[in-house]
Amino acid sequence: MAMSILRREGRRLLPSIAARPIAAIRSPLASDQEEGLIGVRSISTQVVRNRMKSVKNIQKITKAMKMVAASKLRAVQGRAENSRGLWQPFTALLGDNPSIDVKKSVVVTLSSDKGLCGGINSTVVKVSRALYKLNAGPEKEVKFVIVGEKAKAIMFRDSKNDISLTVTELNKNPLNYAQVSVLADDILKNVEFDALRIVYNKFHSVVAFLPTVATVLSPEIIEKESEVGGKLGELDSYEIEGGETKGEILQNLAEFQFSCVMFNAVLENACSEMGARMSAMDSSSRNAGEMLDRLTLTYNRTRQASITTELIEIISGASALEAAK
Amino acid sequence: MASTAAVPFWRAAGMTYITYSNICANLVRNCLKEPFKAEALNREKVHFSLSKWAGGKPEKPILRSDTPGV
Repeated sequence: MAMSILRREGRRLLPSIAARPIAAIRSPLASDQEEGLIGVRSISTQVVRNRMKSVKNIQKITKAMKMVAASKLRAVQGRAENSRGLWQPFTALLGDNPSIDVKKSVVVTLSSDKGLCGGINSTVVKVSRALYKLNAGPEKEVKFVIVGEKAKAIMFRDSKNDISLTVTELNKNPLNYAQVSVLADDILKNVEFDALRIVYNKFHSVVAFLPTVATVLSPEIIEKESEVGGKLGELDSYEIEGGETKGEILQNLAEFQFSCVMFNAVLENACSEMGARMSAMDSSSRNAGEMLDRLTLTYNRTRQASITTELIEIISGASALEAAK
Repeated sequence: MASTAAVPFWRAAGMTYITYSNICANLVRNCLKEPFKAEALNREKVHFSLSKWAGGKPEKPILRSDTPGV
């Protein structure tokens, strides 16, 4: 009895569905680009499948890049930490004067040549620009020396008149002191400076890199400051061996200090670059995984919707035939 | 306080202290025996490309390298 009532209800609904099966039957060949009976446009499964394949490939690539960056980081990290001992005696002797007021400052910006390393290059450029604003003024000038392609591209846009040197391809060979000292030598010979401010990312840990400024003064400024007093004023209490004068020793020391500080800065920047690349690739692999999950859901929904549509077509076609009988 | 005392020979020749110490280090590295010598000389390889800028335009880059053209 209940069954006959249901059957009667079903037959009542049938005409409304059976009125439109012809339009639906016209489109089974183009079932990829289908319009459901309700008129809702759905994404085709082929398109979703292609997207899933490409997202999966990207995820594999970013995972591999993360592994490579992790292994490179392990190699450079030991050297960077050991090189910190190179400039510590200089700071103990000459002190650190980041706020010194000089006429000619040169800002040395260290960055990477390759991309996909997170935000480290933009933070370094931001700090360099801030230093420029701090130190620019009447009678004072600031020049830039840029190491690395990425900072060159960013600084070119608005500070290109203040750039005096750019250096690229430094990371082609494994970093060593000889290379950095030749670079330091070139900078010394080509740029006049009273104070050099080296901006780089200091490596604290795999997830923490802070932009730091290391200041190296030229020997003339050191002599001037030593007359004023303070830490540099105690230089006179040191005995000088050999036949050299204080001025000469200061010049040698200043050059060597610049070379050591550059070496440490370049190594720390390389470490930070690897660490930043690791975390950037890690988060992009995770994003790719989430995207893949969402696409899978969409794919299943689309697939089920198309199956349901086909079933409806078949059933309504069959019942139309039965009703016509 | 200009120093008119005798400048060391290398500074009179136009070298900086850095260049001087690099040449000394190279001499020390050449005193090693194989195979340590090859390893140490490997640590001395230099390669970078430098370009000076004038008025907002880069000039032709100079390649400073032990292996030019590679």
